[in-house]
Amino acid sequence: MRRAVENGTTRRPLTVVTGFLGSGKTTLLSRVLSEPAMANTAVLVNEFGEVGLDHHLLRRVDERTVLLGGGCVCCTTREDLVVALLDLLDLNQRGEIPHLDRVVVETTGLADPAPILHTVFSDPVLQHHFSVDLVLATVDALNGNLHLDNNPESVKQVAAADKVVVTKTDVAERASVEGLLARLGAINPSAQTFEAALGEVGVEELFRPGHAGTRAAPAVLPAQNSLHDTAETHSVSLTFDGPVDWTAFGIWLSMLLHARGEEVLRVKGMLDVGGAGPVVVNGVQHTIHPPEHLDAWPDADHSSRIVLITKRIPPEDLTGSLRAFGGLLGARPSPLYTQP
Amino acid sequence: MCVLCGRDFVGVHWTDRHVEDRALLSGPSGDSSGYQRDRRRDRAHRAALTNAVLRHYGLRVEDWGGSKYLLRDRKGRSEIVQDLGALWPAAARLAGRPLDPLDPALRRALSADDDA
Repeated sequence: MRRAVENGTTRRPLTVVTGFLGSGKTTLLSRVLSEPAMANTAVLVNEFGEVGLDHHLLRRVDERTVLLGGGCVCCTTREDLVVALLDLLDLNQRGEIPHLDRVVVETTGLADPAPILHTVFSDPVLQHHFSVDLVLATVDALNGNLHLDNNPESVKQVAAADKVVVTKTDVAERASVEGLLARLGAINPSAQTFEAALGEVGVEELFRPGHAGTRAAPAVLPAQNSLHDTAETHSVSLTFDGPVDWTAFGIWLSMLLHARGEEVLRVKGMLDVGGAGPVVVNGVQHTIHPPEHLDAWPDADHSSRIVLITKRIPPEDLTGSLRAFGGLLGARPSPLYTQP
Repeated sequence: MCVLCGRDFVGVHWTDRHVEDRALLSGPSGDSSGYQRDRRRDRAHRAALTNAVLRHYGLRVEDWGGSKYLLRDRKGRSEIVQDLGALWPAAARLAGRPLDPLDPALRRALSADDDA
């Protein structure tokens, strides 16, 4: 179905790798890119600060690495990202890069990944050739807590991620790794977490083709309900007591994003809209992935599940608002608990 | 870009995406009358639901020729919008305040509608 929708062209998956300065993005990438499965991957690295150091570590990508000059991928050089991706597409279609299976965009440590997604979804050409399948965030087991405490960018990166890789677990105390994992789960219950010592991580699992990212079932971990991070970030996992009117949900969410876009870090989940399969909703701040109407549910659980990660908005307000919209939605929200 | 109205159609708002996908799926040889019927029904349904929210701000929206929405206030001012992405900023301009789904007054009003 997906191919039919795209008129016979397959979109190339684009993976965004984000993570705070020194959190091991490059180590992870250089490890991952050495896998044969990743041979036809082009990598876009952003030069920022130190002169191309990160780039030289990524040996495998040599000529396919397009350095984005002029600073941060997100804010100042989004056009560069467009140009770089169009350039890759051009080389691919002229046969100079015969196989282009995937593009990885490595962001700077301070980058907010949302604008990258926005660039890909809104560009008239790129939106037909690339789909963002996965946002990976690396978090350093030694300094992760410190970064999360002091840098809102770091929290945004975790909230935007579909998968979080905790790096340097070999040099950190086990207890502090566990604590960090719990905290990451509290910030973003929809993300899958991995541990990587010295960049060693299961590549297949991280980049599992066709299952990664937006198409995967969000791994909602609702066990610790009403989770909130020590800072002002809250997350709430919800379900509905019946099929949700998709049009009404679109009205509610577009209205919320217009009013509180800055404060909604993430929306992710699957909604039962009364069809054979769910609608996959995935949004990072203002940027909503094109919602996918699936033909079938990925697992036996056919109930809606959705995670909202917000900054400063108390979870009760979101639930209360959805409850007030219940008449329009055709279903009532309730917090998602796991069976004990 | 439409040469008649000058509107840029590059970006399909995410809330309209399922309509576009359905159109592409059916293809050029697809059942276009069925698609048009569905699309009109979707648009009428969206206008009706949106009005349930907008009336608490003294606003009203209607489908305008099957391609745009016409948003009006009670003083007769109006704006034409393409989709929900453009509707909320326009509604905020006409209402003179942002429309926030978390607003307790709106929540109370919507809940009262349900009970009525």
